[in-house]
Amino acid sequence: MQENHLAKWLNNELSEAELSEFKNSDTYASHERIANATNSLEGPDFDSEEALLAFKNKRELQNTKVIQLNPFKKFLRVAAAIAILLTGSYFFLNASNETVTTQYAENKEVILPDNSEVTLNADSELSFNKKDWATNRNLALEGEAFFKVAKGERFTVNTAGGTVAVLGTQFNVENRNGFFEVTCYEGLVSVTFNGNKTKLPAGSSFVAINGETISNEKPTTNVPSWMNAESSFKSIPLKYVLDEFERQHNIKVSTKDVDLNQLYTGSFSNTDSDLALQSISTPSQIKFKFEGNKVLFYGENAQ
Amino acid sequence: METKNNDNVCEDEIFSSIFKANSKTVFNYIYYKFGNEEKAHDAVQEAFVKLWENCAKVAPEKAKSFVYTVANNLYLNVIKAEKVRLKYADKTLKTTIETPEFLLEESEFKTKLDNALNSLPDNQRITFLLNRIDGKKYKEIAEMEGVSVKAIEKRMHLALKSLREKIDGI
Repeated sequence: MQENHLAKWLNNELSEAELSEFKNSDTYASHERIANATNSLEGPDFDSEEALLAFKNKRELQNTKVIQLNPFKKFLRVAAAIAILLTGSYFFLNASNETVTTQYAENKEVILPDNSEVTLNADSELSFNKKDWATNRNLALEGEAFFKVAKGERFTVNTAGGTVAVLGTQFNVENRNGFFEVTCYEGLVSVTFNGNKTKLPAGSSFVAINGETISNEKPTTNVPSWMNAESSFKSIPLKYVLDEFERQHNIKVSTKDVDLNQLYTGSFSNTDSDLALQSISTPSQIKFKFEGNKVLFYGENAQ
Repeated sequence: METKNNDNVCEDEIFSSIFKANSKTVFNYIYYKFGNEEKAHDAVQEAFVKLWENCAKVAPEKAKSFVYTVANNLYLNVIKAEKVRLKYADKTLKTTIETPEFLLEESEFKTKLDNALNSLPDNQRITFLLNRIDGKKYKEIAEMEGVSVKAIEKRMHLALKSLREKIDGI
C-alpha cells in the first residue's frame, strides 16, 4: 500500500489493486462510514452576499469618517506645531535677548557677560544677546550710555543714528531725537554716521544734530559729566538742554517766547532741580516758574 | 475570476467577485481552526478590509492567498480554540425507515465523530474539513496553507487514521 493511502483513497487516486486490497481490510467499513459522514457535514451558516453587503456598508462608513476626521486632525497637527514653535521661540528669544531700560530720573549700571560695564543714563534702553555674547559683542542702544569695554573682540553699539565700533575702551554714546553724540575717553572708537566712518581717538567727541556733523571740543574729564550727576553742554541748542533737564529731573518743561535754537554752554546739576533751573535760565537770560509739577520757561521780554 | 486586463483588485466588480468566491472558505477556515463563529465573521471582514486597503498592490490571482494569510495571522495565538460544532446536512437524516437501534447507533456515532474531530490537531482538522465539507482539492488547500500537496496528503491520511481509531475505540 502506498504512502498516505487514506488520503489517496479519499481522492480516488488508488489503483484497482490497491482499492480492492483496502476494501478487504478490517478497517475499510469504518473508514468508509467516516468518509461518508464527514462528506455530509456542514459548517455554520454563512451568507457571502450578506457579508459583502456588511463589508461595503462598513467601507462607506469608514470613508465618510475619514473625510470628516482628517481635516480636523491636520488642523490639530498644524496648530500643535505652531504652538510649539511660538512657545519655543518665545522662550528662546526671551532667554537670549536681554533688555535693560531706565525711566526718567533714573540711572542704571549693567555688567555685560564679558565684564564690560555700561552705565545707562535716564530714559534709555539697552538690549543685547546674552547667548552669543562671547562671539558677537553687539548691542542696541536708544538714549544715552557710558561704556567701559573689556578687552576682546570688536564691540559694536548700534543706534538709530549711527554705529559705534571699538576695541577695549571707554566711551559715551548719546542718541536722541536727531541728536547723536559719541565721546571717547580711552582707546579708539570708530563711528559710522550716514555711511561715513570717523576714527575717534581718546579725548575727543563726535556730535551730529539732525544729520549734520558739528565739530566739538575735547572733553575735559575722564568720564561723562552725567556720571558725576551733572549734565554738561558746549554750544548745544537750548532745545536739547531742556530735553535733558526733563529726563534728569522728571519735570515736565514748557516754554513761552524762548528761542530754542540759541546755543547753551554750561552744566546743570542732576540732583538739585532748583539749582539746575537757575543754571539753565541765568546764562540764557530766560526766567522760569513752577506750575504744579511742571516748569515754564519764558522769555524776559514776554512779560 | 474575470481578471483579464487588470493587475489589481481595486475595481469594485473584481473585488466583489473575489469576495463572493472566497469569503465562505475564509469563514470556514477560521471556524474550523477556533470553533468560534463570531471570530470567523470578523476574520472575513478584517481580511477583506486589508485586501481593500492594499488593493492597488495585490494582483487578482494573489488575492486569494492574501486573504487567507491575513485571516490566518489575525488571531495568531490570540484566542483559545473552542469546540467546533458541525451540523449534519439534512440529506443523511432523510432516511425513511430506520429502526430505533439504528437511529441510536447513528447519533452515538455522530457524537464520537464530533469528539474525534475536535481532538485532532488544528492543521489536520482544518485540512480534513476543508476537503470534506468545502470540497477543496489538496492542491488548493496546499496553496492556502503555504505547504506542499504532499504535506496535505499526510495530514489527510493522519486525520482519517486517527478519526477511525478514536471512533472504533482503539
